[in-house]
Amino acid sequence: MSATDTGGRVSQFGSAVAEGWTRERFGLLGAVALILIAFGPPFQVYLFTDFLVVALFALGFNLLYGYTGLLSFGHGLFYAGGAYGIAIVLRDLGPVFADVVGAGISPLVTFVVGGVVGLALVVVVAVPVGWLSVRLEEIYFALITLAFGMLGYSLIIQDPAGLTNGTDGVIVLLGTVDLGGVSIRVGGRRLYYVISAITVVAATYGVWRIVNSPFGTVCKAIRESPDRAGALGIDVRHHRWMTFIVSAAIVGIAGVLRAGLASVASPGLTHWSTSAIAVIATVIGGATYFSGPIVGAFIFLYIRWGISRFPALEAYWELFFGALLIAVVLFFKQGAVGGLHLLRDRLVGDGGGGGAAEAGSRATSAPDEATESSDDDARTDRGDTS
Amino acid sequence: MSFTSLVPLIGISDVVIGLSLGSRLFLIAVGLSLIFGVLGVLNFAHGGFYMLGAYVTLAVVSNVIDNFWVAAAAGALAVGVVGAAIELSAIRRLYNRVDSDLDQLIVTFGFVLVIHETVRFIWGSGSYSIDPPDVFNFSVALGGSTFNAYRLVVIGLAVAVLVGLWLFITRTYFGSLVRGTSSDREMAAMLGVDVPRLYTGVFFLGSVLAGLGGALSAPLQATSPALGDQVIIDAFIVVVIGGLGSMSGAFVGAMLIGMMQSLGPQFISAGSIAIPFLAMVIVLLLRPEGLFGGIGE
Amino acid sequence: MVAPNSDDGNNRNRTGDAKANSETGSPVRRRRFLQAAGAGTAVALAGCSGGGGDSGPVTLGAAYILSGFASLYGEEAERGIEFAQSRINDNGGIDGRDLEVLVRDTEASGDTAIQQIRSLVQEDNVDGLFGLDSSGVAQAVAPQISQLQMPFMITHAATPFVTSPQGEHEDSVGNEYVFRDSNSLAQDIYGAARVAQELDATEWATIGPDYAFGYETWDYFQAYCNGLGVDAEFTAEQFPALATSDYTPFISSILDADPDAVLTPLWGADLTTFIGQAEDAGWFDQIDHTLFSVGMGTDYPSDGSPLPEGEYASTRYDPFVPDSETNNSFREAYYEEYGSLPTYNAEGAYRALYLYKEAIESAGSTDADALVDEFTGMEHSGPVGDYQFSETNQATVASIWGTVTYDDEWESNVLDPVNRYDAGPDVLSEALGDSDLPTGI
Repeated sequence: MSATDTGGRVSQFGSAVAEGWTRERFGLLGAVALILIAFGPPFQVYLFTDFLVVALFALGFNLLYGYTGLLSFGHGLFYAGGAYGIAIVLRDLGPVFADVVGAGISPLVTFVVGGVVGLALVVVVAVPVGWLSVRLEEIYFALITLAFGMLGYSLIIQDPAGLTNGTDGVIVLLGTVDLGGVSIRVGGRRLYYVISAITVVAATYGVWRIVNSPFGTVCKAIRESPDRAGALGIDVRHHRWMTFIVSAAIVGIAGVLRAGLASVASPGLTHWSTSAIAVIATVIGGATYFSGPIVGAFIFLYIRWGISRFPALEAYWELFFGALLIAVVLFFKQGAVGGLHLLRDRLVGDGGGGGAAEAGSRATSAPDEATESSDDDARTDRGDTS
Repeated sequence: MSFTSLVPLIGISDVVIGLSLGSRLFLIAVGLSLIFGVLGVLNFAHGGFYMLGAYVTLAVVSNVIDNFWVAAAAGALAVGVVGAAIELSAIRRLYNRVDSDLDQLIVTFGFVLVIHETVRFIWGSGSYSIDPPDVFNFSVALGGSTFNAYRLVVIGLAVAVLVGLWLFITRTYFGSLVRGTSSDREMAAMLGVDVPRLYTGVFFLGSVLAGLGGALSAPLQATSPALGDQVIIDAFIVVVIGGLGSMSGAFVGAMLIGMMQSLGPQFISAGSIAIPFLAMVIVLLLRPEGLFGGIGE
Repeated sequence: MVAPNSDDGNNRNRTGDAKANSETGSPVRRRRFLQAAGAGTAVALAGCSGGGGDSGPVTLGAAYILSGFASLYGEEAERGIEFAQSRINDNGGIDGRDLEVLVRDTEASGDTAIQQIRSLVQEDNVDGLFGLDSSGVAQAVAPQISQLQMPFMITHAATPFVTSPQGEHEDSVGNEYVFRDSNSLAQDIYGAARVAQELDATEWATIGPDYAFGYETWDYFQAYCNGLGVDAEFTAEQFPALATSDYTPFISSILDADPDAVLTPLWGADLTTFIGQAEDAGWFDQIDHTLFSVGMGTDYPSDGSPLPEGEYASTRYDPFVPDSETNNSFREAYYEEYGSLPTYNAEGAYRALYLYKEAIESAGSTDADALVDEFTGMEHSGPVGDYQFSETNQATVASIWGTVTYDDEWESNVLDPVNRYDAGPDVLSEALGDSDLPTGI
């Protein structure tokens, strides 16, 4: 890439930022915010890291739900897969790596290798599980993924291979990197935040690219009408299988990050009630939008934290989310992001804000046009709120 | 341990315990299955209904009237009313949606959270238990082991419910409407069946059965807010194995899982709690309609 | 608090009365009231908790199980805290400063506990930490404590691995910041093996919760029996999940194996559920001896005194032994205040506040490292007796086992006769024999 080319891009980006509330400006503000958060109070840094991880979990889940129309109640399996993968590597192979690469750098190397192993483990599990699950649809798909998730839960609890330490789970110790007299704790609040933020942003960008690729278009076509897609020569089952694997892998990355954040890989991660967190966040945020799960995760964690500041209410936060979930599905399926769009359209009027389509209408434009026209959202075109 | 040495360990009490566990599972699963068969709704909150039935029974016995049977009936009815209210206020709005199945599942999951937390708010997070009704509260010693006679009552009642439901569905006018509507809703509506009312009625009946299951089980288990979440997964396994919508399937499936739960601890082997889930996966893949047929069978 | 709530089921064991829930109404009202009261305190505290500084109140953070199957343990601890806090504040506070305590719910989950403890340290700036009811939770929390660099006084969770220095055993997570003022499973189960030595029983079985605590209890028991030369065979074991609502299949499996005696570390509402269902199945007729290793902690706060008389139970603190002025006056005042005998969980939490008071006054500050220095090797005395923190930060308290006996005067089960077995480092390490299990002391 030549210098002028780069310069041209930079100035193009600059003018895009100056022009108005474009995607570029949002991106820049987002990046600045992400950097500023790293300097916040430690607990807020922790809470925000938690949000990022749950957001990625829900985003991966929604790749299957919002984009392909398959509701999984077993994605906790992949969340746990990532977490246990890295936890077991850290526990069993940490000392081995210390011998090979030296004790100073080994915590970082082990962390990276563990993450890769966790992700690989998830993919290895997702390939057969997905292949079998996509044979079913609708409620039966929800049931079989629930069964696979609980099967994983049972196996982790019973621990026939002696790897998962049963009910207590595997403790995750990330260790301290020592390089030339400087020592940095990998699990330190701020460093872990930086690692998580970079990973989550990269993974989110990856998902964004996927849903706006021909692959993503096929996903949407299948969701709208599997029969028509089939008639067009698309191998529906195969495509769903591929989406399942990608979705599981994204959730697996979130699981890897979860292990280091929670400091323990516990069997509860595979339980259906954990899988349900992705469902809650996604539905509340708005499954029809790319950013729905992210906004939903934000609401989920910050409202929960807000509630936790009042001990009288703390025990009952689930009540709030149960009621919210029911209300959103019944009355406003576009969720929070849909609400924000509606609000903006009311405030700015139809002409402003880059001219996004109204939340309720179905965007039928070509993918590139859709990305141009909306600020930060590719709709999954799932606005079927009859 | 060799296989032959294990066989004599299965006592009569293990079988009775297994069947009584199966009976309570049947009562929750049959309502779940009935609702799915007729309305096409998979009610995630059915475990919550079961738990609510147990709590109401406990509360009535201790605060209102010291008669278990009256309290159990009150528990079952109260849950029926809650179920009907949920159908009327929420689930009804979803029948005509494109993704009605999934939306219904998510909404009923919302009610799982709501019921769980409401119960916790009213009764706290500890656990309660009561004795079986006095008449049946004695130990039966058979084959060297003992069990409470009340377990036999629960098994008998489950069989009675199965027979009663079967007669109701196959021999009564309302039953014929239910069968007709479950196989072809539009046709039934054209023939003058008040489908919305029938749906509410079936949801009420299914909820009553779950409440009854909870009420009858109250003397056999500790009732705590966690109960609903535990039992709904077992009920899903049962209805999948038996076939969603099948009553006899729910019975056989429930007895299978009940026996497995009873005998499981005797044959400890790694992965034993995984077996029901494995069975669920296999049935879903090979016979998604379950091992038994459709409604009324 | 909701103790009657959690244990209503036990009325029937003693009275055979079907109306076990006669008090359903009252605990509910009490609970709501207490929640409202709790909210008030916390809001009031949020305003004034600054911690860290040398003026203003001293703020301590506690984490206990306040919901679910073992909520009565957290509620007992809250009583101990409240009791100690008012006594300390009425007598000049800590170096003239008021003492505030923030109590959070771990929900018996390691994940939640870590989050709550982080929040206490980083949001509420507490000066010190104490608490924990579950071994599994303690094992997950201990490594975090050394990262947060804040002293933690464990008052109940019993796993020996949190007071076994990291590296001693593959599960060891002990470090300089983690202390325990109550006795550990290694000490408690040593007493169980001593009881077993006296009993005419050779075939032993266990039914315990399916997590670290259940398995460790059984491992240590077998190791001690071997080490002490007890003539015992270990014939059956069952580990049902926590919060199991129906123990019948597990009970029936143990009964089929027909052991002479059973050691059970079930606790909280699980223990009361188990006992009710075991009685129905004829357990106490068929099995000669049942040893309840967490027995009295669940027994005291419940209305019905669930433990059957004549069986063996342990406690980590006994309200009658030692027969000292400190213990007697503590018991009397506590009974006056709450109408029940103090459990070990109340006493452990109570003592934690006094330990902090002594350490802060001696160090002249609330600096975390200074407090750690004070606690290290500290000699202390409380209702439980005189003890010292060992090299691994474990209190050298005795193992206490006795026979469950109903006492009319206190309208409660007590341990009578009761034995105190010295359980210092040398005793335990000798009794463990060839086993590779750490003494945790």
